[in-house]
Amino acid sequence: MPSWATLLSQAFNGLALGSLLALVSSGLTIILGTLGVLNFAHGALFTVGAYAIFVAFQYTSSFFLAVAMGSVFMLVLGILLERVIVRLFYDRPHEDQILVTYGVGIVLVEVLRNVFGSHAQRVPVPSWGTGVTEMGFLMYPTYRLQLIGMVAAILLALYLILYRTSLGLVVRAGIENPGMVGILGIDVKRTFLVVFAVGCVAVGLAGMLYAPVVAVSPDMGATFMVQSFVVIVLGGLGSFPGAVVGGLIAGEIISITSAFNSAYSDVMLYGLMALVLVLRPQGLFGSEGRV
Amino acid sequence: MSLLEVERINALYGDSHVLFDLSIHVNEKEVVALLGRNGAGKTTTLRTIMGVLSPRSGEIRLDGKPISGLPPSAIARVGVQLVPEERAIFGGLTVEENLRLAALTAPKPWPLDRVYEVFPRLKERRTSRGRTLSGGEQQMLSIGRALIRDPRIILMDEPFEGLAPLIVRDLVNVSRALAAEGRTMIVVEQNVAAALSFADRVYGLNNGHVVYEGSAKELQAEPERMASFIGVGLHG
Amino acid sequence: MTRNLPPALRAVLPETILVLVLVAAPLLLPPLGFSYDLLSRVLNWGLLGLGFDILFGLTGLLSFGQAAFYGVGGFVTAYLLVSGKVASVWLALAIGTAAAGLFGLFVGWLAVRRIGIYFTMITLAFAQMAYFIENSPLSDYTGGENGIAGVPQPKLGFGESALTISAGLPMYALLAVAFVIGFALARRIVMSPVGSILLAIRENTPRVAMLGHDVSAYKLAAFVIAALYAGLAGGMLGSFQSYMPPDAFSLETSGQLVVQTIVGGVGTLIGPLVGAAIWLWLRDNLQVIPGLGALWKLVLGIAFIGLVIWLRRGICGEIIHRMNKRREAAAVKAAQARTEAIELSEAGSAAGEPASEPAPVTVRDIVLPLAPPSRGSGDVALATSGLSRHYGGLKAVDDVSFEIRRGTIHAVIGPNGAGKSTLFKMLLDEVSPSAGEVRLFGERITGLGVTRTAQLGIAKSNQLNQLFPNLTVRQSLRVAALARSRGRMKLDLIRRSGSLPEVEAQVETVIDSLGLRERAETPAHILAYGEKRRLEIGMALATSPNVLLLDEPLAGMSPVERLATRDLIRSIAKSRTLVIVEHDLDAIFQLADRITVLYEGRLLADGSAEDVARNQAVQDAYLGGLHS
Repeated sequence: MPSWATLLSQAFNGLALGSLLALVSSGLTIILGTLGVLNFAHGALFTVGAYAIFVAFQYTSSFFLAVAMGSVFMLVLGILLERVIVRLFYDRPHEDQILVTYGVGIVLVEVLRNVFGSHAQRVPVPSWGTGVTEMGFLMYPTYRLQLIGMVAAILLALYLILYRTSLGLVVRAGIENPGMVGILGIDVKRTFLVVFAVGCVAVGLAGMLYAPVVAVSPDMGATFMVQSFVVIVLGGLGSFPGAVVGGLIAGEIISITSAFNSAYSDVMLYGLMALVLVLRPQGLFGSEGRV
Repeated sequence: MSLLEVERINALYGDSHVLFDLSIHVNEKEVVALLGRNGAGKTTTLRTIMGVLSPRSGEIRLDGKPISGLPPSAIARVGVQLVPEERAIFGGLTVEENLRLAALTAPKPWPLDRVYEVFPRLKERRTSRGRTLSGGEQQMLSIGRALIRDPRIILMDEPFEGLAPLIVRDLVNVSRALAAEGRTMIVVEQNVAAALSFADRVYGLNNGHVVYEGSAKELQAEPERMASFIGVGLHG
Repeated sequence: MTRNLPPALRAVLPETILVLVLVAAPLLLPPLGFSYDLLSRVLNWGLLGLGFDILFGLTGLLSFGQAAFYGVGGFVTAYLLVSGKVASVWLALAIGTAAAGLFGLFVGWLAVRRIGIYFTMITLAFAQMAYFIENSPLSDYTGGENGIAGVPQPKLGFGESALTISAGLPMYALLAVAFVIGFALARRIVMSPVGSILLAIRENTPRVAMLGHDVSAYKLAAFVIAALYAGLAGGMLGSFQSYMPPDAFSLETSGQLVVQTIVGGVGTLIGPLVGAAIWLWLRDNLQVIPGLGALWKLVLGIAFIGLVIWLRRGICGEIIHRMNKRREAAAVKAAQARTEAIELSEAGSAAGEPASEPAPVTVRDIVLPLAPPSRGSGDVALATSGLSRHYGGLKAVDDVSFEIRRGTIHAVIGPNGAGKSTLFKMLLDEVSPSAGEVRLFGERITGLGVTRTAQLGIAKSNQLNQLFPNLTVRQSLRVAALARSRGRMKLDLIRRSGSLPEVEAQVETVIDSLGLRERAETPAHILAYGEKRRLEIGMALATSPNVLLLDEPLAGMSPVERLATRDLIRSIAKSRTLVIVEHDLDAIFQLADRITVLYEGRLLADGSAEDVARNQAVQDAYLGGLHS
């Protein structure tokens, strides 16, 4: 039985990992819910985000400016991918959508490998985030606390976009019945473009914010992608609240289990996913998605 | 020139040929009823006008401008609005969100309150989610979504189907009021008596062909005329 | 060129070509950068791919978790050998393969009930779980991240004289033999009745279930077959490279298999091998070129995207398609021309009433070689009592009780929204009733599901055609007839699909009754609409049901076709009980012995055609309440 201090600190790690997973998964889930496409390039897009800030940070000393530049890049990349490739697949079987996005993932990762090499790169922790914070009961790295805060702010922004704007109204309606949205005069396909781009920015932001605490390498995204599949299955495919809650649950499962025996943390996670898929395929929040 | 002209359209549902050289027209401020047995092609006609189905041949014009071949969203933006048979309420959105969504692309949408004047019940339930509404309330919302866009022409597909008689009575009264204030509509309805109570003109459809055209009054006076396209032909 | 060969040779032509290529490969290819080792690895991937192609190419189930079975087969084999528990490599391979099959049975049992994205994600989740289980909890047995080193090579013969199959050419030969056997077997499976059914499942799963095949069981069979191939390939991997790597379990392995299969050609069996050759050759040969080292996978990735977008058939698939197209172009063109001619004449006759009534066709008896499943001898074929179906507050069908007499044509009519379709679907348990039950010859069938009721002798033709678009008329009818002769599930993997005389006789009889003799080899999607409608009815008929349900059999037909179909219905009725839902009331009153009228979910009238015709309530219901 690990000590309470260990458990507490692992719970905090779980929160940091969980909020990050929530951000990655929310991008995946709104794309799936609206477009009906399970994006197998999502992990690669996470990696692209991390490299985007690695590059941007070399041109500017401001972390936030770098994040802004990276976000613009992700936006453009998302628009390009949707216009050139993804849109060709809306009327094709799910299997083809999975195949082509998997291919896009390979290409993105290999482009990074050719440009930056296979070895790990480091993105420095911003100056205002160095050191540790004394929380009374726990000493915790300052940047990780800030990471939780920043991710929470981005998720809040996503929530406001989805639930307080016209675009969000269209997206939520489009998840339920895209045909009727069209009959009400709204060009759904144009919404698809925006949603795909927003999803790319969301996962790219996750990659950017995570970059300072980890080694940046071309293959870093794969684990996150598969874990975000677990998250959206837990939360219900296509459900934004499901992605947030599912992300936190997944993060805590990984962290708390490894406090007991790290060998079992991933086994637990995928075992839970298999269980949910078999017993409650609509997930915790029920799926209003199209699959 | 009529507001809406449907000229010799042929349409297929899946691979089944449903409409054969079908032509109808609707004048401004006129209510037209499409009657016929099920399978006659009434719903398909409405869905083809809305652009949900593309006609294989023929042309559909609004104000003389061709609209056939355009996607439903573009056809909606020029002022054609379908109220579908299945109502298609967004269950996860509130009543008010359903209406606001519908108003988004309308050039001159009604204010919400004007819809609530037509259907006071919707105002009471404006924060309820669509999936919690009764069948009658869903139908009101579905019509309300069309009204808020203030379209040139409304296509109503079986608006009274599966509803309790009291609610049908209310909805018929609303339809009459809309007709009286000069709204252009096509209505498809099994409840012939209800449809004829506010329609000006009638087309009878059978097997995807127009087999009858006449005024609603004529038909009300001589219901046996309907035998050719809606009657069950039991006498033979 | 193949047409001049004797039939016996033509039947094994692919195998013959394969053997020749595999013999020539080690002689011709090494100078091009294919070492023996590389060729061996290509064959290993190809073996893995044979199973995957049966699962994905034939059945249409995309698994992203084949690594799980590859890994299980590999690690069980390697552990048994290295730990000394089993001495014979052959025995260890057999056990490893069986272990992978068992794991496949477990995962497949959970996975095949889901489709599309869910199926893919379940396979991926289990593969990831297997990977992490190998990596940590079982690392005492599997070596965790280090894998298992020192896996022995197989020996031929016994004792001192045994011949060790060493790396290089001998190992290549072993893998080539394994691949040829695996390929021949896979091809037999594809051509077996099971293969026909799996193909039909890919084309239209719900229809296969309606015909009486246990879809889940067949999908599970395909899943286990794929797992067995993967297990064998995994076991041989460890043995031929003397080392079992943990990344056999990784997501990249599953992904690489998917990419190779798509590149080489899905549904061709040989495609995965070709794809593996390209992948491994690019990797081995481009990697050594300075400056290009990391480019190989980028090139491959771009090519992969291009293939998915434009050439989804892959390399081999495209070649086969073009060869077939050239050969069959004339036939397809003729079929399409015929379809256009039929449609044109129909459009003409539909525009006006037919110029003259066609001469009445003599109604023949349809005697089907496969006897219907005999159930009881009662006078009542089908009976419902208190049958209801509620959707939320809507009572689609409310407390309906009626009987259908054996050997009659019984019609169900009613205005739109009367609940006819829902009632119909409950008659064969396609939809479960909220209350009440359906009895077939006195035996309760409610709750059995559509597959079991089909086996008990109820078939239905659908309002909207539910065909197998890329299967010919004959193949489609065969899938239907197979359901009756085989029961819900039978694993005759080696038999040829067209070799059951009774089934073939059944198919021929139905083709004749449908008047589709000239069109027997035409794919369903090319048929004219009226022909499709007849095929839809024919597939239900080919199951040789006791009770045949026809949901709007005349919908969308031209007047001429209506007459022909009416005759077909009459001739079927001579030997079966028929239930019809139809809007063409003129036809109904001519055909039906008894009529049940539904109105707003309730039973409005039930009796002989004359009684119903005189019923005032029925008139009022149809006139939409104009009199009321």
